[in-house]
Amino acid sequence: MDKENLVELKNIWKKYKIIGKFKKSLRESISSFFKEKEEIEDDEFWALEDINLTLKKGECISIYGPNGSGKTTILKLISSITYPTKGEINIKGKVAPLISLGAGFHNDLTGRENILTNGSILGMSIKEIKEKEESIIEFSELDRKFIDMPVRKYSTGMNTRLGFSVAVHSTAEIILLDEILAVGDEKFREKCHEKIKELKETKSIILVSHHMDIVRSIVDRIVYIKKGKIVEEEEIKKESRQN
Amino acid sequence: MLLLKRLFEYRELLYIFTWRHFTVRYRNTALGIVWAIIQPLVMMFLFTFLFTYVLKTGTGDIPKEVFFYASLLPWTFFSSSINYSTSSLVGNYGIITKIYFPREILPLSGILVAVIDLLIASVIYLFLLIIFKITLTFNVLWIIPIFILLFIFTMSCSFIFSCLNVYYRDVGLLTRFVVRLLFFASPVLYSIDSLSLKLKLLLFFNPLTFIIENMRRCVLEQRGVVLWQFAFAATLVIILFFFAHKLFIKTEKDFADVI
Ligand SMILES: Nc1ncnc2c1ncn2[C@@H]1O[C@H](COP(=O)(O)OP(=O)(O)O)[C@@H](O)[C@H]1O
Ligand SMILES: [Mg+2]
Repeated sequence: MDKENLVELKNIWKKYKIIGKFKKSLRESISSFFKEKEEIEDDEFWALEDINLTLKKGECISIYGPNGSGKTTILKLISSITYPTKGEINIKGKVAPLISLGAGFHNDLTGRENILTNGSILGMSIKEIKEKEESIIEFSELDRKFIDMPVRKYSTGMNTRLGFSVAVHSTAEIILLDEILAVGDEKFREKCHEKIKELKETKSIILVSHHMDIVRSIVDRIVYIKKGKIVEEEEIKKESRQN
Repeated sequence: MLLLKRLFEYRELLYIFTWRHFTVRYRNTALGIVWAIIQPLVMMFLFTFLFTYVLKTGTGDIPKEVFFYASLLPWTFFSSSINYSTSSLVGNYGIITKIYFPREILPLSGILVAVIDLLIASVIYLFLLIIFKITLTFNVLWIIPIFILLFIFTMSCSFIFSCLNVYYRDVGLLTRFVVRLLFFASPVLYSIDSLSLKLKLLLFFNPLTFIIENMRRCVLEQRGVVLWQFAFAATLVIILFFFAHKLFIKTEKDFADVI
């Protein structure tokens, strides 16, 4: 593995089943349980084909493409939520996959309790979360009187704000952001973009977003993906970034 | 052991999940943790009533109340663990598809909550022992290794049921049925002392038979454990555990895709 690379995907193929087309019989699923087949069958398709991707230390890249092109799948592979059918993945460092905000939020728990759960799920230690708790609440701009109320009583916007706030306090070196830039009202959105630019200084980021202008103002490189294949890569020059 | 190795790095997460599950369960309830006592206590009264007035079979020298309570504690632990953990993976769909951690944490946190419930319910057990003037001997200590056995057995069943439930939701329905059958195939309502030798031998292939019978004996009858029986039950449980954990790990990689 190249020293500078934190993430390396080498010739990655990922096969998915089209569930519901027909249900396999028990015998078939037992036999396929023991065999790893590399061809695809009628009820399967390639969600990713021969993907090569690297993320260097300190780099911030974006994966851009239409819905269903495989962006989330790539992020899931990097964070070991799912595994490739073929190919090799190398990861160096802790990954915080923000595939959605507030993973593990429970409606009956208070904001403060959810910070603890969510932070822990994102790989922070209890001690770290306690230390950062004030700063997390601060950043979310939630009214103090709400923080000890169950999140069931929060508006959707408040929920995502809190989720985003925990997420950006993560201690991981590699941060994966999946279409979560459009959170909260305009003012908060602006703040999120600033925060991501700030995170760029210390972390390596993969950003998935459909807002091309925002993407261009933040990232160093855009990887275009279409139907599971990388079609183009574009370096964004620092000077051309509008701020 | 592989399980401990996998969990070590994530021990805080296991703690958080257990805490979360425990808190959520008793939050907004008027009675709170008293619920942990209610279930075995009500069952105990029910059985005592049934076997005093309806069926009129005895439990030997031991007062029925303590006899039933003693067997209901491990049984309730087992059945509530299984009931929770079978759906623990499917029910946490949102987390599984978004973040990686060893998935064992999900069923395990349910079992740990059942341990807390068991400890709470044991307070009543102590009262019953005092009320019915049961004297204890050092044989009581057997309860510790037997409980460890029960824990590993429960964990194994949870692993098997929860991961199969990801693929076939039938498993959820099936386990409810299996648990109900096991209730009668385990010496909760009766002591195996009263059974024929053939039946005894057959029932010994259910590890719960050894576990429940001996957890009761070592406290209420001050009896020790027959070593070969312990060895036999332990062997069964350990083989089952290795199989269960292997199956769990083998299927774990697919959870996020098929769930
Ligand atoms: N668990 C799954 N089972 C079957 N198909 C899936 C699964 N997850 C994603 N897919 C399919 O894989 C393709 C890529 O999905 P995804 O990576 O989520 O796209 P994107 O994030 O670019 O919108 C889609 O066609 C989607 O339907
Ligand atoms: Mg997506």
